[in-house]
Amino acid sequence: MSMFVIGYYAALIAASCIAAYFQNRQAFMLLFSLTLVSFVLGIVGGVPALQGVTIFAGILALAAGTSYAFREFLIQVSRPAIAKELRTAPLTAAFGMFVIFTYAIAGIFAPWIAPFGQSEVIASAFEPPNEDMLLGADQLGRDMFSRIVYGARNSVGLALLATILAFVIGALAGLYSAVKGGWLDQLSGRVADVIMSVPSLIFALLMLSIFGTYLWVIVVVVAIIYSPRVFRLTRAVAGNVVVMDYVEAAKLRGEGDWHLIRKEILPNSTAPLIAEFGLEFCFVFLLIAGLSFLGLGIQPPTADWGSMVRENATLISFGDITPLIPAAAIALLTVAVNFVVDWMLFRSSGLKEQ
Amino acid sequence: MNKPQSKSVLLEIRGLKIDGYSDETWVPIIKGVDLTLRRGEVLGLIGESGAGKSTIGAAAMGYARDGTRISEGSIEFDGMELTTATSAEKRALRGSRIAYVAQSAAASFNPAHKLIDQHTEAPLHYRIKKRMEAQEDAMELYERLRLPSPREIGFRYPHQVSGGQLQRAMTAMAMSCRPDLIIFDEPTTALDVTTQIEVLAAVRDIVDQFNTAAIYITHDLAVVAQMADAIKVLLKGEEVEHAPTEKMLDAPEEEYTKSLWAVRSFKRPQKSRPEDDSKPVISVQGVDAAYTGGAKVLDDVSFDIYPGMTVAVVGESGSGKSTAARVITGLLPPMKGEVLCRGAALPPRYQDRTREQLRQAQMIYQMADTALNPKSRISDIIGRPAQFYSGLKGPMLKQRVDELLDLIELDPANFYNRFPPELSGGQKQRIGIARALAAEPEFIICDEVTSALDQLVAEGILKLLDRLQRELGLAYMFITHDLATVRSIADEVVVMQNGRVVEQGAKEEMFTPPHHPYTDLLLSSVPEMDPNWLTTLLEERGVDNIGEAARV
Repeated sequence: MSMFVIGYYAALIAASCIAAYFQNRQAFMLLFSLTLVSFVLGIVGGVPALQGVTIFAGILALAAGTSYAFREFLIQVSRPAIAKELRTAPLTAAFGMFVIFTYAIAGIFAPWIAPFGQSEVIASAFEPPNEDMLLGADQLGRDMFSRIVYGARNSVGLALLATILAFVIGALAGLYSAVKGGWLDQLSGRVADVIMSVPSLIFALLMLSIFGTYLWVIVVVVAIIYSPRVFRLTRAVAGNVVVMDYVEAAKLRGEGDWHLIRKEILPNSTAPLIAEFGLEFCFVFLLIAGLSFLGLGIQPPTADWGSMVRENATLISFGDITPLIPAAAIALLTVAVNFVVDWMLFRSSGLKEQ
Repeated sequence: MNKPQSKSVLLEIRGLKIDGYSDETWVPIIKGVDLTLRRGEVLGLIGESGAGKSTIGAAAMGYARDGTRISEGSIEFDGMELTTATSAEKRALRGSRIAYVAQSAAASFNPAHKLIDQHTEAPLHYRIKKRMEAQEDAMELYERLRLPSPREIGFRYPHQVSGGQLQRAMTAMAMSCRPDLIIFDEPTTALDVTTQIEVLAAVRDIVDQFNTAAIYITHDLAVVAQMADAIKVLLKGEEVEHAPTEKMLDAPEEEYTKSLWAVRSFKRPQKSRPEDDSKPVISVQGVDAAYTGGAKVLDDVSFDIYPGMTVAVVGESGSGKSTAARVITGLLPPMKGEVLCRGAALPPRYQDRTREQLRQAQMIYQMADTALNPKSRISDIIGRPAQFYSGLKGPMLKQRVDELLDLIELDPANFYNRFPPELSGGQKQRIGIARALAAEPEFIICDEVTSALDQLVAEGILKLLDRLQRELGLAYMFITHDLATVRSIADEVVVMQNGRVVEQGAKEEMFTPPHHPYTDLLLSSVPEMDPNWLTTLLEERGVDNIGEAARV
């Protein structure tokens, strides 16, 4: 019986007792069932298992603490109207915002943060982490950490660009279809159907092999693949707004379509569009990562998380987790964006009434 | 209606306080209301919207809606305390001993199930009756409520019966377990006057026949006068006055109650057409119209609107009133006939009209909520037409907006930068009027502008419209189904039925007999403050001749 194990159980039981004393039923049930589970776990897995639980709980607590502090920070620095909205954000959303904020900082200030250039060869291939290199070297001896930081700029920047373009195309077409109706609506609807009927990865591969793997081609192709989804959503949302009396009033005033879209319809359909933006961003990001993994996305030596997974993939058979780091970076961002989107969807739907 | 006062108490509410959750704090909505209801008694709850009528109605079932909580007080139903009862206990009461009839039957029935299946759900669930028994009982209730072909109507889906029938079916459904208490939450507000009568008669029959106690929630005084033994007036979550119906009508004590009673007194002198040969500002001539692929909605409709006059267009829903407005504005090009503006034909489609032509005719909408862009500032909503038609900019525009806000009696400094959702219903409607005025039109279409508002607020709007007409010489086309409004504001009346104009003329003429039979039906269906009005009317018409059965 080590001191650790004694301390572990003592802490858990003390916490359960405090929870019970303050009548916090949920917390008590959680803590005490964890204590019971730990008995079994301690017998089966020994001290390492309990240490694992402690570390996991510590990480969770740290993340929760960071999220809480970050939310308070955002509330303090933003204007009263926004601060009021932010107060309603759950911790998961705050965590998501924190991660997005961190990635943004890493992407924007990449040249200053990264200790080496993204294509700089500074060590031998697959060198393990040391004082100079936080995460070791990749297959050509480039610093893994620097490449991850640059990757935030390249991958995320490209995905952001493609998503924005997809939104501009899809939302404009959707809004015009909703306002105009008639043949324009039919035509754009059918075009969207055609694009959606082609499997996206195959369509992207086809286009990229025809036009070559330039950055602008990737952006345009990905934007075209994802714009029909935005189109459909926008058209549905705008369709509900177009029938409102205030739009009719503006039409009868003799306002042009552009005014209708910009002043009357768009401000009343932003909430679902913003939520969709977050979701689409994840899909676009994953598609670009997938393309890069297949070698058709961002071309070497530019650092990109998708291709970094592929280039270092051989290392996984030696039990090294290096290739999983860029994959984890992708996963973390996707989860973070989804946390924020969940909160926004929750707000824009009527669910908040409870 | 005179029941002995010694009957046992069914529902007793003492010091009820209810909080609502808004802006992350609990705000009191009901501030201590007492209520006693005996078996077989009908209590009318009356007040403006936001007075807490429906909240009290729900609380009588021990129910607090989402975002509200019962914070204090006691609700005792037949010896059982509902505030502390478990949800299972309360659930056992609802549907079997306490029933609820909602405002919109069309929205409250499940469209995917037949009426009778929904009717028998509660008796089956509580094992009060077997399915066949319950169905037999449903048919019997349908018959008592004078629904047409009571043995078959239950097997239809909600969309296959009319609104009035649906509301009666819902009342029958509430009776399915023979509850001790029914809560009627504005059951006739969404209905036309002619359909309203049949529902009122049905509700009263049921309550009389089964000696059921009821809480009748409404904002229409004349309706409550027909139904209730006693009336309770509410204002902002507090009781203003409580008295038996007769006494309440004859001698109200509180100032607020008196003002409610006085609302219908607003009346202004009738104007007549100008003597000189000035052309009508809008003239609708022999218009036929239909929506795409549908049957004719307007059939040879003609009427004239002269400058400075108010023409009321009345009729039930579906009579083509609003369609006529859509034809005038150019939203629906007519199949035949034309619309003249000061003698010159207007292009049928609004897209083909010039700015000047569009400016002439403005609209004020029924639902101020959907008529104002919730994401635009008041200054933009009102300023945009002024900027669009007159090209005003900068300080000139601001001055014009201030002028308009003054005109509609709202303080510019206070409202200039606000958004529509922050305003009350009456204020929104005023902003809607200001937007129409900003275009400096000669003619305004008012589409049921007061029907979504409380009576006091509606009266304020009518007075405002009248003042504006006198000051600016506007012509109004006033679409409404409320004949009280017509009486107070109109100069001429056009009665429409099934897309045809059945009668038109000056108001005084229209309100003095002899009438066209349809006008007569409409006029006699308007509830009056006399508590015996419904009884007398039913005697005159005969029980089989009310509502839809009285079609001419």
